[in-house]
Amino acid sequence: MRVLVWFAAAALCAHAEHRLHAVGATTRGWVVGVALLPSGLFVKDAGGAWANAGYRHPLLTGLSWLPGHPETLFLAAGDGVIRVDAEGRWRVLTGETVTELQDISAGAGGMLAFAHTAGFRVSEDEGRTWREISAGLQRRYGKAVRLDRTRKGRIVVGTEDGFYVSTNLGETWRLAGAAGFQAMRVEQSPHEAALWLAVTQKGGIFRSTDGGLTFEATPRDPSAGRNLYDIAFDPADARRIAVCGWGVGVLISEDGGVTWQARNQGLPRPDVWSVAFDPDKPGRLYAGVHEEALYVSEDAGRTWRVEGLPGSIILKMAFVPAGGAR
Amino acid sequence: MKRLAALALAAALASQSASAQDFGQRRRRLIEKMARVEDARLHYAGIAARLWLREGVPAAERRLRELLEGGISGDMFWMFPMTAIAYLDRGQLSDSTRALIRKSWKTYYPFRGDTENHWLLYYTSMYLMTQMWPEMDGGGWFNGKSSKENMEEARRWIDSWVKLTTTKGQGEYDCTHYIGVYLLPLSYLASWAEDPRMKKQASMMIEWITADFAAEDLHGIYVGAHARTDDRQVVEKWRGVSADFAWLLFGQGKETPPFGGYSLYYALADGPEPPAILRRIATDRARPYTHLEKKRTRNRWRFHDELHGQVYKTTYMTKDYAVSSDQGGVLQPVQQHSWDVTWRVDDPEGVHNTLFSLHPYSGVVELEAYFTFSPDFGTEAVWRSKKTYDSPDKLLGGSPYERIAQSEDALIALYDIPPGTRFPHINGFFSKDLSELAEDASGWILCRGGRTWIAYRPLAPYVWKPIDGGGRRLFSPYLKNGTVVQAASLDEYPDLEAFRKAVRALPLKFRLEPTPHVEFRTLRGKSMDFTYGRTPRINGRPLDYAGWPAFGGPFLHSKAGEPRLEMTHGGVRRVLDFSTLTVREDKVVRTK
Repeated sequence: MRVLVWFAAAALCAHAEHRLHAVGATTRGWVVGVALLPSGLFVKDAGGAWANAGYRHPLLTGLSWLPGHPETLFLAAGDGVIRVDAEGRWRVLTGETVTELQDISAGAGGMLAFAHTAGFRVSEDEGRTWREISAGLQRRYGKAVRLDRTRKGRIVVGTEDGFYVSTNLGETWRLAGAAGFQAMRVEQSPHEAALWLAVTQKGGIFRSTDGGLTFEATPRDPSAGRNLYDIAFDPADARRIAVCGWGVGVLISEDGGVTWQARNQGLPRPDVWSVAFDPDKPGRLYAGVHEEALYVSEDAGRTWRVEGLPGSIILKMAFVPAGGAR
Repeated sequence: MKRLAALALAAALASQSASAQDFGQRRRRLIEKMARVEDARLHYAGIAARLWLREGVPAAERRLRELLEGGISGDMFWMFPMTAIAYLDRGQLSDSTRALIRKSWKTYYPFRGDTENHWLLYYTSMYLMTQMWPEMDGGGWFNGKSSKENMEEARRWIDSWVKLTTTKGQGEYDCTHYIGVYLLPLSYLASWAEDPRMKKQASMMIEWITADFAAEDLHGIYVGAHARTDDRQVVEKWRGVSADFAWLLFGQGKETPPFGGYSLYYALADGPEPPAILRRIATDRARPYTHLEKKRTRNRWRFHDELHGQVYKTTYMTKDYAVSSDQGGVLQPVQQHSWDVTWRVDDPEGVHNTLFSLHPYSGVVELEAYFTFSPDFGTEAVWRSKKTYDSPDKLLGGSPYERIAQSEDALIALYDIPPGTRFPHINGFFSKDLSELAEDASGWILCRGGRTWIAYRPLAPYVWKPIDGGGRRLFSPYLKNGTVVQAASLDEYPDLEAFRKAVRALPLKFRLEPTPHVEFRTLRGKSMDFTYGRTPRINGRPLDYAGWPAFGGPFLHSKAGEPRLEMTHGGVRRVLDFSTLTVREDKVVRTK
């Protein structure tokens, strides 16, 4: 089992505070009907090598872990929520009633939430049981979801008609912003709990400074008319945020999301699916460039070089704390 | 090997009269053909065929081990052949090979897919494999669930699919190809499920789907509107799995390669021979008839308030031809086919026995409604496997800007394409196999396909463009557009001039601005009044979409929402009742 080799190797490189994980698929050169190329969960070891951890899987869209328990990952997958435990064992936690999950979020107290094609579900027991929380939403296509890490019961979700917020874990909802736009991603600042950022399909970047209750369009947004796919807050710099998208590449804000500038020098094309800042290396930023490779910048996006995962579409990256059994 | 060589010789000697054989002979012929593949080229289908025959098994087993050890792929398209092999083993494989099969269900992670047929294949395979190994804990399966959990999940989904299909209609309805991936798993469950309820339910669903096909079967060809077909089958209608099954089940048409092997697996699972009434429904074309069906769309994730939209299908069937349509719009992504005239041919191989038009729509909104693709990569992702999706020349796919009305063998298709739409034109498919094509001064295009006269009236100017593979494409680059079609038999009009005269005499009024509108009196004396975006009116009355039956015609009867199908033919009535899982057949007392 490749995964056991990976976990063994991971145990030897405990000097890193975090390990970069990525979910996606190698699609360049792949055609329908042939065996999958490396796809699913990728993990970068201390030596810089990437491994396709566990099974090859064609559609993983998100990953998360419960606070304080990074040894167990929860993956948003085309066929449900997959739990990957410390021994690398996979277990699908959902059944036949959900499909093509788009995002997943973990919160305190064993709480999980995911976005799926027909709504949103939460679990308060680490994924053993789930309940649908979409009843109050008119259009239920679930694209993005985040549990508030500081306020119990608050959850922000992204639908085909903007972002909605609930303060009672989905019992009631109200529109928070970006009405009329397909939501793509929402994230909460790790520095300031009241600061949230949301991105959309052709609607631009939206910002909340009241804990996700309301989102406002950013006035000098260079991404208008483009599709944005991901958001990353820099753990080392409270004012630095990255977003990425198609046609705009990587956009960086150095003022907490008020203004933005493109930083694509060295990227082969301006079509970027995902971004992640390295919490252990200030200024280091990763970008998943469409069917080219994962790229890395050591200067917050000013210059880029190839990192690995050639031919891939990386939909989400995360630096997972290196603690726990792994 | 001597035995296999003898099989090969026997198969070679068998003539095209194979269709005259009985069902059991046709089934065996399919299996023997597949089993005689040379050892080195055996794949799962051939291995399964040899296990069924109990012939040439040692070589098949060696090849099976090579395949399993060489790397597995295919997701549910690997699961279903492996399930067949596991059930056809019957003590013929060694323990070590059996252990290798068992291990593969742990080490390989088959994806469940995103389509109705994917899920039926996946859950049928999981149901049967967990039935075979009922005591495994989560460590025994790729998804970490125990045998019991997997089986319960599979049972729940299969039951829910049966309920949905028998009350709201099939989502992937009337597919020339994908009919096979419904009959195949259902045949597995009917044969190999141990639970009598599951067995019975599956055998009844086989009848349901076979009946659905039988009423729209023109000498082995699945006619008319299809949820899904493909670029080749949309013009050469014989070249699909449905023709395979027409040959296997009803002895119709011409023996096929077989396409996709789905009929082979049906045979391997000892899938049932249809009851006699279904064979009669499939073959009795003594009198023309109109047959209605109500189906549902594929799951619509976005841009709609309801998960499933309604599909209203009309088919007019004669011994020589059929005219069939849905109501237009995008009901399925990418591979929808909305209407056609199909004429009968005795030998359909290589024959393009159909005529239709469409707006070649390509748009990310369609893809985002039905798939979770990203807007930027969606079209390319489809294009990589469905090469013509984004082609202006394509002959496949629905359009949000097409509306269709049909009365018997007359049809009106109207188009109102917004400015700025990609591919702002109409494509009309005129087969290489049409004859006597004449562009009449009246504006009608008259032609003959087999024993069928077809009149086609384009409502806007057009030019002809050649089609790769033969035939001509009517290209009409006008946003407000339309087509009026009338078919008739050679029995009615002995020559082109007689047909021309009759068609020219038909009252036709139309306008394209501001909204396309047609008033037409058909050859059958019906008045059609149709405005784009409004309910068509026949003889002054709007079509009754609210009362549209799940099946309605001389042979099949089912109210929408009721899980009950009544089949009638020749004084016999056969009723499938899914609420009680009972089948009843009796004589119908005719009253004058």
